[in-house]
Amino acid sequence: MRRATILIIIGILALGVVFVSSVSVGTSTALQQATATVSIQITPTFDINRLAQPPTVIPPAQADNGEQIYWGMCAVCHGDQGQGLTEDWVNSFPVEERNCWDSGCHASDAPANSFELPQTGIPALAGAGKLSRFSNSFELYRHIHQNMPFLRAGSLTSEEAWSLTAYILRMNDRELAGFTLNGNAGAAIPVHHKVKLPESQIPGALILVGVLTLCVVAVGVNIQSKQTALPSKPNFFHHLHPPSIPAAQSRFSYTLGAGGAAVFLSFILLVTGLLEMYYYVPTPEQAAISVETITTLVPFGSLIRNLHYWSAQFLVIVMSIHLLRVTLTGAYAPPRRFNHLLGVALLAFILLLDFTGYVLRWDEGIHWALVVGANMLKTIPWIGESMYQFVIGGSEPGAPTLIRFYAWHIFGLTLGAVILMAWHAFRVRRDGGIAIPPPTQRKEHERITRFDLLRREVLAMTVIVVILILFSLLIPAPIAQPISAINTMTGDSQAPWFFLWIQQLLKFGDPFLLGILVPVLVVVVLAAMPYILPNAKSEELGKWFPRGNRIAQILAVLIMAVILALTVWGAIPK
Amino acid sequence: MNKTTYISRRDFLKLSTNALFGLSGLLGLVGLIRYFDYYLPEAPVEFDLGDIANYPVGSRTVRSDIPAVIYNKDGEIEAHSLVCTHLGCTLAENGAEFDCPCHGSRFDDNGVVLAGPAQKPLKTLRIEILEGGMLKLHTKG
Repeated sequence: MRRATILIIIGILALGVVFVSSVSVGTSTALQQATATVSIQITPTFDINRLAQPPTVIPPAQADNGEQIYWGMCAVCHGDQGQGLTEDWVNSFPVEERNCWDSGCHASDAPANSFELPQTGIPALAGAGKLSRFSNSFELYRHIHQNMPFLRAGSLTSEEAWSLTAYILRMNDRELAGFTLNGNAGAAIPVHHKVKLPESQIPGALILVGVLTLCVVAVGVNIQSKQTALPSKPNFFHHLHPPSIPAAQSRFSYTLGAGGAAVFLSFILLVTGLLEMYYYVPTPEQAAISVETITTLVPFGSLIRNLHYWSAQFLVIVMSIHLLRVTLTGAYAPPRRFNHLLGVALLAFILLLDFTGYVLRWDEGIHWALVVGANMLKTIPWIGESMYQFVIGGSEPGAPTLIRFYAWHIFGLTLGAVILMAWHAFRVRRDGGIAIPPPTQRKEHERITRFDLLRREVLAMTVIVVILILFSLLIPAPIAQPISAINTMTGDSQAPWFFLWIQQLLKFGDPFLLGILVPVLVVVVLAAMPYILPNAKSEELGKWFPRGNRIAQILAVLIMAVILALTVWGAIPK
Repeated sequence: MNKTTYISRRDFLKLSTNALFGLSGLLGLVGLIRYFDYYLPEAPVEFDLGDIANYPVGSRTVRSDIPAVIYNKDGEIEAHSLVCTHLGCTLAENGAEFDCPCHGSRFDDNGVVLAGPAQKPLKTLRIEILEGGMLKLHTKG
């Protein structure tokens, strides 16, 4: 028995040594490949091997694909090492072809299916000081994609152009191993600095999720154990709540926690937004690149950005759920009718905040949404043109538009939303808290303390954070390639998801009627329900589907269903 | 068994809840510090100095745009930065020496500190001689 054990241990150790050594050899070879330096030398005689096709690498990195394309299409002019059309390289051509500018070749009388070579020669692509007019990979890619090869400009596919960009980076010792350049992530990679990708944020985020889940358990146990003795003095957060509230007001099965969730999500938006402001640059040239920098190069940058994005989208959904809940429980009955108006106004502000934030990306994904949205303003009679100028700051979207949208997003709309939120919360307290029957008409009189109430809120907030982090880790926020100056229809023509229903409507007729009047009408009807339709009686409050405002419930559900159907319809790819 | 002090269930729950939230806060703080710790590496800064023939032996050329002074001492081309090593003002020429208008530091022809709050001598800048006799000055790296 002992001998067998020893043999097994020796066997495992031997396997381990073999494994470790093969991994380290493999890694070092890969490192050597990735960090091969470029040396440009003028040699008296030409080495014919320099013309050979580069060996196929399996599996090919993006720069390996680029190397193959470069050999086939670019090396003839730009040199096998990116040195440009140097004398040494020209010596690789047959003697009679060494003067490229000979008459009949690439001089001004070049044949019809050929091209005239620029007199300034063919630039080098590798070495210090080269490629100086491209500061990031997107600019390099765009030049290649639009202007190369010289004979047939624009004949390369997007993927080929990115592969070439990756190879040129490799020629300049700037290749990022294991990273695939594309429109969503290529722009941020600088051409003239070597960057290091930040380490993966997944382990750290998962540890945080784990700890927070334990927090949820701890708070849950705390709530369950129903502390009856008087706890210590209330802290700041306790004092923000009334000393006690009816238990009926605190049930998640009644409120869904939607209003509270909306407040918390807004707070997350403020914090993550502030963090993003540290790196975001609000100019047309830099906006999409700075967003890609946050996503690709800043440690935990993609987590912060995704948190911001998902909090925003969840907020729109949570607010809609809250609006529906309030309607389906008749909770907007007097004295809460004005608060209902405040709430609907908040929904409008949040949608505008979502749209302005969306535009700040200034990538091809938002391009047409901005143009269309702005042009819809022009359809408004009398004030349309002025509104367009006010919002866009010029005759068409450009740099003034971006800086205005930025100012609205980080300050104007935010200030308005904060004021409305504070007022809305104040009115909730003044109107007696969450809607239930007045004390004389109540069936149950159980109350919970502010301590218990805070525990429930903390529980809900922690659960929201866990869900948000998991979403942010799994599904990235969208980013497309930066808007180029050229006005071609390269971008996505879909509206942002929360306006898909309007985009669908616009397919059926007059833009002012369907794009402006109908949405405004929806908002007005939802806001006016407590004033024009019958309300629930006070003894009916505190439960779902009271009889009193049944008409309003049906109307609200119908409106939401139609909007949902239009949204789903608009989301189906053609 | 002795009745030792024990922690009540309520206090234990409170302690563990606070500890867990405190731990998440710490994790968040670490992430935050890492988030702010990103800088684009600086680009090396280069200046074209022109043909080496423009700098004959014994010449002393002041380029106030860089700012730098370029000498040719017995065939060796050298350059010193004219940024004051005290707090960064650009030095002014004063005969054979360089004086700082901000706090009065003075440097001699070789960049050595003559007087003033500056402590360190002027920084030597690297000159690269390219093919064809063209000179390139590197102010960083």
